[in-house]
Amino acid sequence: MVMMMAPGGTLEMAKTVLDEGADAVYVGVVGWSRRGAQDELNDDEIRHTIDYALARGKEVRVVVNTLPSSTELPMFVERVERYAGWGAQGFMISDLGAMRLVKERLPHVNVHTSVGCGITNYEDVRFLRELGADYVVLPYRLSVEEIRQIKGAGKVGIEVFLFKTPSGGKICPGKCNMSSYFSFRRWLDTEGKDHFFGSASRGGDCLRVCQTEWNFNVDDIDYRMPMTIKTNPALWLEELPDYLAAGVDCLKVPGRDRSAVLVRDIVRVYRRAVDAILETDRPDLSVFATELEILRGRWMTERNKRDNRLLRQAIDESARVSAAAAAVTQ
Amino acid sequence: MFELSTDVGNLKELREGDFSAYDAIYLGDFSCPEYPNNFSSHAELLEAGLQHVHARGQKAYLRLYAVPGNDDLAWVGDVIDTALQLPFDALEVHNLGVLRMLRERGCTAPIHLGVFGNLYTHETAKVLKDFGVTRVYPNPELSLDEVRYIAEHADVEVLVPVHGKIPLVISETCFILEHSEDGAEGACGDGSCSYQCTQDHWLKRGRGDGSRADWSLKDTGRMTLSGKDLCMVEHGGRLADMGLKHFYVHNKGEAPGYAAAVGRIYRDALTRAFAGEAAPDFTPALDALAGLAREGLCNGYYFEGAGQRYIGRS
Repeated sequence: MVMMMAPGGTLEMAKTVLDEGADAVYVGVVGWSRRGAQDELNDDEIRHTIDYALARGKEVRVVVNTLPSSTELPMFVERVERYAGWGAQGFMISDLGAMRLVKERLPHVNVHTSVGCGITNYEDVRFLRELGADYVVLPYRLSVEEIRQIKGAGKVGIEVFLFKTPSGGKICPGKCNMSSYFSFRRWLDTEGKDHFFGSASRGGDCLRVCQTEWNFNVDDIDYRMPMTIKTNPALWLEELPDYLAAGVDCLKVPGRDRSAVLVRDIVRVYRRAVDAILETDRPDLSVFATELEILRGRWMTERNKRDNRLLRQAIDESARVSAAAAAVTQ
Repeated sequence: MFELSTDVGNLKELREGDFSAYDAIYLGDFSCPEYPNNFSSHAELLEAGLQHVHARGQKAYLRLYAVPGNDDLAWVGDVIDTALQLPFDALEVHNLGVLRMLRERGCTAPIHLGVFGNLYTHETAKVLKDFGVTRVYPNPELSLDEVRYIAEHADVEVLVPVHGKIPLVISETCFILEHSEDGAEGACGDGSCSYQCTQDHWLKRGRGDGSRADWSLKDTGRMTLSGKDLCMVEHGGRLADMGLKHFYVHNKGEAPGYAAAVGRIYRDALTRAFAGEAAPDFTPALDALAGLAREGLCNGYYFEGAGQRYIGRS
């Protein structure tokens, strides 16, 4: 049976998606997941979420998918052991060393390799499975055929996001440091955790520098209108039966940094759609077309607001550093 | 004492360039299989490239394609099979799947992990050592202290880039071709590449008032690089004191002559630093390096800030 997992960017969102039919909720730990603190949960909220899910026969996955400093790994292990002790059944991890540490200490928990691992082929998946991965999160852009090939390569759970980009282009997430190149600041919290402001991979937020207006020049000549560098993913549905037939084990609703209301409505639609697919060989997904189109519009609106907010932070931080550097040289 | 290395994409560049300042050469462009006569995707050229490098008393490392999809694994396997028959001093991988393929084929040559291998911790370095990795290139986001920690706690060679543009993101398809007015006829990977990457392509964040852009990136088609050039020429003594020994100059996307000029400067600076000489006046070296860096110099993330600022010794 395919598992539908939905985001808990806030405690309210976590409880809502479980109420709306998600089989599991995934929540990020403040400082330890690939989102800003406003979309992550503190320990009290995580424990509350776990209790809430377990009481309803559902599961919690804890997102600890930053790429930390070596010296932070003992803190990482301590946290994972704490959440597993509270009843979390799985963890999303990017760092290979961290993954092995978790599997050595907690062989019973599910390890999901994060999308930050940047998988591009089935040999990657074999490597990660041999390292102990129970699920691999595939990037947004793989085709049904590629997923089928990956599923055939070995016994490991396949997890896909319910949003995707066209194939090709810059590999994000997993192989991009553009955000931190322009705006990066390290700061420690009271527990000694570095929050790596501006680094998506390390636990700050991706500040979406790819979404500002860029001029593309050849030898200093502009030859087209300003553009963004990367295409944004969009919600999808039509290929869902094919994805399930290809062996997808876990469907992941995106949106930790969206509003609880929008995520609630997405979960409602996908719950019905998945149930329809599982109940019949010839599901009619056209009945969801109008709702999906509205959700896509709402998704884009919220994304643009988020991008503008993050991009403003990037520009401000970059300007602050430039001003400080200029002051030193004067 | 120390090793200084750089990269060369194909045989023509190897034969026409002056790489005498370097102890080792990374052969191939790991980002783009379509790059003309790329060692990374042309098994038939490996022997000639290897002989050229070894004849000059240098080590030859082969770069393997960084982001192969399922459909690429067969030809990557062919390149590996040829390479394993040749006395390469190491093979460089960026992809875990390719690393696994090397192990499956019984590779006994040293393996280096490349920049897109996402190496952030010493524990990950230990995992990779179990797969035959002997040298790692830590992610550019790491500070010098983090780099040193990995070197000391994973008992592995660490490659430290000291100069050149920083690889920031890699693509599965060609950004230049996709955004070219001429490129509409062909798609990346279909054999119709017009090699527009031989021209300099820059991404610049525009300002509403039309003044000079404040952010810049260089794009080589399948890879986006920092606009500024990483520069550590003033910090050789510090690198030596930290016990770091393997240094690298990024050459991909640069004009002919760049690697030679930069290599000479770093050969001299690092030799002096490792001999324990007092730091010289770096002004001439910095002037020369700045003259090769259109968008200026930076220290990357080594000193824990955003990647594009520059801090000197003082």
